[in-house]
Amino acid sequence: MIELKNLSRQFGEMWAVRDLNLTINKGEFCVLVGTSGCGKSTTLRMINRLIEHSAGEIHIDGQPVRGFREDLLRRRIGYVIQHVGLFPHWTVARNIGLVPRLLGWEPERIAARVDELMALLGMSAERFSGKYPRQLSGGQAQRVGVARALAADPEILLMDEPFGALDPLTRDGLQEELLSLHHRLNKTIVFVTHDMDEALRLADRLVVMHEGQIRQQGRPIELLREPVDEFVESLLGGNSRGLKEAALTPVAQRLCHAEMTSGVPDIDANKTLRDALSLMLWHRVDCLNVVEGSESLGTLRLADVVTARAPMGTTRGLSS
Amino acid sequence: MAGVTPAAHSMASAKANPVLVFLMVSSVMAWLVLSSVSVAPNRIVPGSSVGVFGVAGWPGVVLGLLPVIIAGVLALKSSRRQLVVVALLVVLTLAALPLWLALAAHNLVSPELPGARLGIGAGIWVVLFLLLLSVIEVRTRLGLSRWQGGLLLLIPMMSFSAVLIATPWLDSLALRREFVTRSDAFYTAIGEHLLLVSASVGCGLVIGVTLALIMRHWPRLRGPGFALLNFLQTIPSLALFGLLIAPLAWLAANHPWLASLGISGIGWAPALLALIGYSLLPLVRNTFVALDDVDPGVIDAARGMGMTSGQVFRQVRLPLALPVLLEGIRITTVQAIGLAAVAALIGAGGLGRFIFQGLGQAAMDLVLLGALPILIMALLADALLGALGEWLQPGGAA
Repeated sequence: MIELKNLSRQFGEMWAVRDLNLTINKGEFCVLVGTSGCGKSTTLRMINRLIEHSAGEIHIDGQPVRGFREDLLRRRIGYVIQHVGLFPHWTVARNIGLVPRLLGWEPERIAARVDELMALLGMSAERFSGKYPRQLSGGQAQRVGVARALAADPEILLMDEPFGALDPLTRDGLQEELLSLHHRLNKTIVFVTHDMDEALRLADRLVVMHEGQIRQQGRPIELLREPVDEFVESLLGGNSRGLKEAALTPVAQRLCHAEMTSGVPDIDANKTLRDALSLMLWHRVDCLNVVEGSESLGTLRLADVVTARAPMGTTRGLSS
Repeated sequence: MAGVTPAAHSMASAKANPVLVFLMVSSVMAWLVLSSVSVAPNRIVPGSSVGVFGVAGWPGVVLGLLPVIIAGVLALKSSRRQLVVVALLVVLTLAALPLWLALAAHNLVSPELPGARLGIGAGIWVVLFLLLLSVIEVRTRLGLSRWQGGLLLLIPMMSFSAVLIATPWLDSLALRREFVTRSDAFYTAIGEHLLLVSASVGCGLVIGVTLALIMRHWPRLRGPGFALLNFLQTIPSLALFGLLIAPLAWLAANHPWLASLGISGIGWAPALLALIGYSLLPLVRNTFVALDDVDPGVIDAARGMGMTSGQVFRQVRLPLALPVLLEGIRITTVQAIGLAAVAALIGAGGLGRFIFQGLGQAAMDLVLLGALPILIMALLADALLGALGEWLQPGGAA
């Protein structure tokens, strides 16, 4: 659990972060979002003390971060940044093994851990462990970045716009993988982004920041439906919030176990209502067959997509 | 890595390489028109020039020109394979030049005159220069590493040394005559020269890196620091050597223990100090830029991963800065090899001694005895340190 209490940071006359209170529970995926200069990166970097806070307190599992030696604190916290920051003069394996090496692990244990992590991130150890960062694509490099952050099995992962420089397709794939990693490993993740779609897709807890303070926090669906003010509303997409909400709702929730309709397109039950709407618009139909693998589950009608509104507690379920 | 783009470019197009064609045509003309060698009955009498046709008949001249002509024709269509052949032909020609001299010695220098000597004529120097330029051009076009480029130059040097040392063919070469009468002094001079260069670059490196670190730590010192080093660099070398004579002489006179160390107004002490002074600007600047230019994202990641500041410096910043730092050492070393020649004027010894003696006696071959090894040392240092810098590029040679 990470607790930020009355946290402030001043740069000269300017308050980058002012009197911020936030509790991130263990295993939670917390996304800080906001315009540039809103203090989200500063907040993140204060957690591992890359930036020292001017006032307030930060506790990790009840202990103040100031009580640790900086470097020892950081070795316990995974850290991933936008430009990857892989060490260009080290091989992939050496990059991933950095923190275990700093912690003084045995070489055999480090090697085994590196192989394990590469397998976890779907990279062939045989093909990649001897390569240098500049021989990797952007997506591969960021995978290595994530593996490096996970190397010493930290409880907490800090990610500062990690997918910001990647093309949309690669970013989409890595978001998917990160969600599944989070599901499997149950790490506490603090993630900074300015991409609202990314934030909505990944967050358990979405924190909207503005001018160094939290404007609103909560589950994505709560913020979409009940933004506290116009700023949050416009940041969340204004009139396009309907589609963003649809992107958070799986097809399975609106499915009607009615008779199969023949001659209409299929849609996978794991897809979202947004995909379903797009498919309907494309094929000029108002009804889809919902399938899971080769098995047909029922149909989805346009009327159900548009009118029915699921209870709040059940909307998130994309990660599985 | 600078050569990668032109290499890729040249593979795509097979156009004529105007630079190489020009160099080859000029070589042929210089070879035919200018004097090839000069022959003198002894050291005092000025030699008489002999053209190529005086050295050998038509068949010999044409045979000697053949590789250059072929290389020029091949350069008209400069695909990669053609350029490789051009490189080989040029290196072959360079390596064969001592054989041409040997032929001249055999045909022109009478064995009855023990003092007779063969001088190298303008034609050979010009051709040598043009062919070296074409080696550089081919190296750039082919995208060869510094190491491979250095190797291309090494082959002719080895061939020349082999002919000079292992055969009696060039015994009458004036350069060799000068060498034979001074071989002991020659080796001493080379030793002095190397010692002066390595000591000044070594001391300069220690002082320069320290200064760069200080300037990184206290940004306020940067402006005045670089201004001072820039000023030092603008003092003419001869003036700096001269300026150091008085204070050092005073020090030696007033502190006998300094004098007992061999410090005096003339000799190695002022030379070393001046060379260190000149080495500081390139060393400090490159060290500073190298350390400062490391990607901040990488440093941020290193700190964020939990490296201590010492670990960040030793494991990340320094290794990533090393290639640029080495570039500074390379520039400084090449510069010091040249500057150390001037140091002979204030009694510091080294190869400059032959140059100034030769100038005094109007004996150009003696000047060459000093200048050629300096040139070769500079080329070797350049190739070696350049190759080392390339090898240390982050991400290895892959």
